[in-house]
Amino acid sequence: MDRRSFLRLCALAGLAPSAVLAASHAQPRMLQMNGYPINAETPLELLTDYLTPAELFFVRSHWLPRMPDPKTWKLTVDGDVAKPLTLTLADLKKLPRAEATCVLQCSGNGRALHNPTLPGVQWRYGAVGNARWSGVRVRTILEAANVKPSAKHLHLFSSDDPPGKVPPFRRSIELEKALADAIVAFEMNGAPLPPQHGAPLRLVVPGWAGDHWMKWLVRISAQPQPQTGFYMDTAYRWPNNVGAPGVAFKPEEMHPVTELFVKSNITTAPASAHVGTPVDIRGFAFSGVPDIAKVELSDDDGATWRAATLDPRHDPYAWRLWSYRWTPKRTGSAMLFVRATDIKGNSQPREAIWNQSGYLYNAWHSATIEVKA
Amino acid sequence: MTFLAFLLAALPTLGTQFKQLPAGKGKAQVEAACYACHSADLLAQQRLTAKQWTATVEKMMKWGAAVQPADKQVVIDYLAKHFGPANKFTPTATKPVGK
Repeated sequence: MDRRSFLRLCALAGLAPSAVLAASHAQPRMLQMNGYPINAETPLELLTDYLTPAELFFVRSHWLPRMPDPKTWKLTVDGDVAKPLTLTLADLKKLPRAEATCVLQCSGNGRALHNPTLPGVQWRYGAVGNARWSGVRVRTILEAANVKPSAKHLHLFSSDDPPGKVPPFRRSIELEKALADAIVAFEMNGAPLPPQHGAPLRLVVPGWAGDHWMKWLVRISAQPQPQTGFYMDTAYRWPNNVGAPGVAFKPEEMHPVTELFVKSNITTAPASAHVGTPVDIRGFAFSGVPDIAKVELSDDDGATWRAATLDPRHDPYAWRLWSYRWTPKRTGSAMLFVRATDIKGNSQPREAIWNQSGYLYNAWHSATIEVKA
Repeated sequence: MTFLAFLLAALPTLGTQFKQLPAGKGKAQVEAACYACHSADLLAQQRLTAKQWTATVEKMMKWGAAVQPADKQVVIDYLAKHFGPANKFTPTATKPVGK
């Protein structure tokens, strides 16, 4: 039985491919954006830890993945290298170990919040998490392969081939970025990388959007030119000159999405409070540059802002947890806005930039609190 | 590893629920065309105009979705009727993934 026949059988029988039904109100939980292939985001109120547990980390799948068999899996390193390599997981584990604790965010996180509305997975807030990724630096591997000066891009290939005539998900990143801080990771938060997060090996690209973080990696190839294909030439692109909401651009008027935009979210806020009684508001903030400079909150529609306290835990490109003690002054419905500013001075805008694929949403986030006497 | 063997191995990591599409003219054609690659949620969460649905269906047909030419408009009409700009979608709460 082939893949298509099997799925059709499941559909006709009215069965979940997993046949596992979850308790709808169980805690902790995920928000299912698609049953198969699985796409799920984390409820914001659960994103309160510095390290997001793997089982609560959002999952993005383009189609039912053809995950590699770990027993026979190998990583091929080829292209403009003097010494092509074929590495097993055991080979990789013998190389100098590298770690990065950093944010992974889907490019389309927040797509559902754009207006006019857009096709695609309707992520709201939770296609983001912060984890400790362990493996080997890409630089270490490419140096072992004697990468040639002609190589300018690293082409990425996974075992995740799509059905039918669907174009394969193939990407590339600039070699400069790959050499600077990219990692091929076989562990997540100190445990073997789970299958849904790309086992046995995925790419980690600190500060860059998730479309570069190739899962189920099987081959990296050093090349003089960028990768071509639908997922480079049409998808995951950002307009060179931003237009008004609803204005679409041709692919040649756009460039690949790379660095994340500065962003903060509120994860913890009470539904109600009392005048004069302080309440704690909490959340996280991150950017495509290594750190956040400040997080501020406003209870007067952005007229004045007060600084939140940043948690001391931090690694380059990781998120900063923050907290803010707010004391309501009057009764009624209060709206608290949060905005972050990164160390390069980029500040979160009140309105996100609409773009035709709904990438990198980063408008001010808010919480509404009913204040009683 | 065959695809079926892979899928069976992957099932415990999924833990998701299967949603049904609303009844209506075109439902059977939509299911036949779309379920080969993804479940109903991906359709049910969209809020697209008829023009956007037309572009989406044409893209999917180009990518191999099994839509008979005579059924194309029926599929578009079903999707535009049920999942237009005013559509409301609430994600289903599921268990942690892979737990």
